[in-house]
Formats: sequence, structure tokens, C-alpha cells
Amino acid sequence: MNALLVLAQSSTAPLHEATLAHYLFVAIAMFVIGVVGFLTRRNLIIMFLCTELMFLGAGIALIAFGRFWLDYTGQSFVIFVVTVAAAEAAMALALVVLLFRKRETLSADDWQELRG
Amino acid sequence: MDSIISPILMLVLSAVGAAGLCLALPRRGTTPQVVGAVVAGLALGLLVLALTLKNPAHAPNIYFYLFSAIALGSALRVITHPKPVYAALYFILTIIASAGLYLILAAEFVSFAVIIVYAGAILITYLFVIMLASQSPTEDQDRGEADYDITAREPIAASVVGFLLLAGLSSLAFRGASDLPKAAETVSGIKEHALFRPEGHRNAAILADMPRRVKEELVAKELMGPSDELALDANGDVQFDLDKGTVKVKAGGQEKIVPLPADFAPRNVEGVGFNLLAEHPGSIEIAGVILLMAMLGAVVLSRKQVEIDEELKLQQARKLAEITEGSAA
Repeated sequence: MNALLVLAQSSTAPLHEATLAHYLFVAIAMFVIGVVGFLTRRNLIIMFLCTELMFLGAGIALIAFGRFWLDYTGQSFVIFVVTVAAAEAAMALALVVLLFRKRETLSADDWQELRG
Repeated sequence: MDSIISPILMLVLSAVGAAGLCLALPRRGTTPQVVGAVVAGLALGLLVLALTLKNPAHAPNIYFYLFSAIALGSALRVITHPKPVYAALYFILTIIASAGLYLILAAEFVSFAVIIVYAGAILITYLFVIMLASQSPTEDQDRGEADYDITAREPIAASVVGFLLLAGLSSLAFRGASDLPKAAETVSGIKEHALFRPEGHRNAAILADMPRRVKEELVAKELMGPSDELALDANGDVQFDLDKGTVKVKAGGQEKIVPLPADFAPRNVEGVGFNLLAEHPGSIEIAGVILLMAMLGAVVLSRKQVEIDEELKLQQARKLAEITEGSAA
């Protein structure tokens, strides 16, 4: 109950830019972890999981900025980001299943000829 | 930027974090993975603490530290765990912790939407595909893990990229954050009321469209009787007076002015809903089209292709023709 009170109070007071910097750093760190994962992992499914990690990091930044400006547009945008993430996951996983059926492997290296 | 964090400290801690990440990535043989993960986690944690120590008066909520530690720790585990199923499960933990961060940023609707859509729908699809597309183990694999899962590609180069991105993006964000017009200054001089803030006129416009909601709130606060009505203007909007903080009410055929309660503001869902539908109606249509196309695309891509040779097709066509002719006759 106490925690809920703290949350309720924090929702109306404006955010200081030093507080904003905390949230932005967490967003950036999560995005960078996603990038490093996308570059290093060879498993196709984990690579797509890392793109979702990047989406999530971007969402934290959007909502933190929306909270800073006391504007709802940041939250609306995150809803669209989640929509696009869902669409991307459906398409990407369908592709992964298709590729797996052809070669019985999930390794991205085995599909190097797709580079063109 | 100096008011947020000293640049050298940020560079050093980013470098340490990237080095730890490089060690933590999976590699063949015994590698100090745990040490790397601990070093990376500590460096990121120290960076957040350095931010707090520079401006202790503006430290975020204690739950921020809890949720961001869980989110970043499990995000690290997502990219370092050799087993895809566990990576997906750690990703669910990341999502729930991020939803906690959204919650303390006063975005309740998005917080729960993210849990439902990401953890409930997207990650379940991922888990299905991971289990559908798992290989039967062969002899040259150790511990039943595929070779491409236990060896990272170019860990050193990727960590350098990670360091450059982390340092570059953070320095840009911190420089930008210290240059932003102070949120506290834009509010000072205006009365401490949710409807009087710079965003207050937008909030008042949202509430003016919802006379029943306004009446409920005023009746609950006993500022008007249940039989009284709000005085609406020609457009059917509630008539707020933002300079005085009052609203017009019709009580027994007479108009009277009633003060608004101090914490009167639209709820998060109301705000997000109005923002979505009033300011971005086109985007909603486009999102619907994207989802439809994704559904069609997934169906087309993943259906099973049955190979039938021409001879068989002709036979089947003939049989079908006979049946239809027979039924017609």
C-alpha cells in the first residue's frame, strides 16, 4: 500500500533531468546489450530475441521522455512499438521455421549465401 | 554533462562493462563467464550509482534500482545463456522488470500491455518455435547444446562496438539531459494543480469531453449533489475555468461555480486513450494493416508445402471432374 502511495505521488510531480538521466542510461544499456547479443550470437531465434531487447530499451527511453514532458505521446508510441514487435516476431519466427525445415539447423552461418 | 556525471568516469565504467561483457559471452571450453558477467553488471551498476551520487537530491524511486538491476542482469543472461529456452525465460524476466520501470514512470496502461503482449503472446510464440525447431543431439556436441549456441561470433569486435555505442549514446543523452529546459522551472509560478500545469490545458480538454466522469468525481468528493447536473456548453463540453480552478454546475435550475478538487486529473488510461484516438488516428489504422499483413505473411510462409507431381495432379483433376459431372447429371 505504501509503495502504491509513492507511485501515485510520483505521477504528478515533474521529473528532474538527473532522474531522467538514470532512466535513459538503463534504456541505453539495454539497447547496447541487445546490439552486442545480435552481433555475437549465431542462433537465429536468439538473434531475433535480441532485437526485442532493443525494442524494450527504446520503449524505456520513450516512456521516460514522455514522463519528463508530462505528455502521453511517448506512451502511445510504445503501444505502436509493441504492435510492430508483435508483427515482426510473427514474420521472423515463420521465416525461422521455414529455414529450419529446409536445413535442420538454426545457425545463421549456414545461411551465408543469403548475403547476396 | 558535468552536472550529470563526469565524462572520464563514464568512459572508464563503460569500457569495464564492455570488457566484462566480452568475457561473459559463451565460448568453447572453460571461460570465466561468471566473472565477466559480474564485472559487466558491477560496472553498469556503478555507473547508475555515480549518476545518483552526483545528484543525490534527484535520486529516483528505490524501485528504480530494483527493477533496473533485474532488467539489466537478466538481459545480460539472455545474450550469454547457451540454451535458447533459458534465454527466452530470462527475457520474460527482463520484460516484467521493464514493466516495473514503466509503472514507476506512471505509465500503468503500457506497463500491463507490455506484460500481456510481450510475456503473454510474443514470448510464448518464441518458446513454441524454440521447441519446434530443436535439433536431435549428435555426437560432436557437448552437453546436448548445439555448436552455434556455445560459441559467440567475434566477441572482442562486438564488445568494442558495444563500448562505442554505450559511451557515445550515454554522452549524447547526458549532454542533452543537462541542456533540456528545466522541468521544475517551466512549472514554477503556476499553481500546483494538475489542471494548471503546462500540460493542464490538454488534461482539461480531455476531461471536458467526459461530463459523466467529471460528475462522478465531484459527487464522490461531495462538491455537488447526485441530482445536480454539470452546466454544458453548446458542444456538450464541461465548462472549466482554468484560471480560477472551478467548474460550472447546474443545481436546481440555477448555475453555480464549484471549485475543483486539488488532485483532479485524467487517469493514465484516459490520457493514453485520448492521445491515441484524438492525435494519432492514422497510426492506429496503419498498425491494424501491419498486424493483418503480418498474420497473412506468417500463414503463407509457414504452411507446409506439399509436393505433388504433375501426373498425380492431372489424375486428381480428372477424378474431381467426374464427380462434379456425375452430381450434375
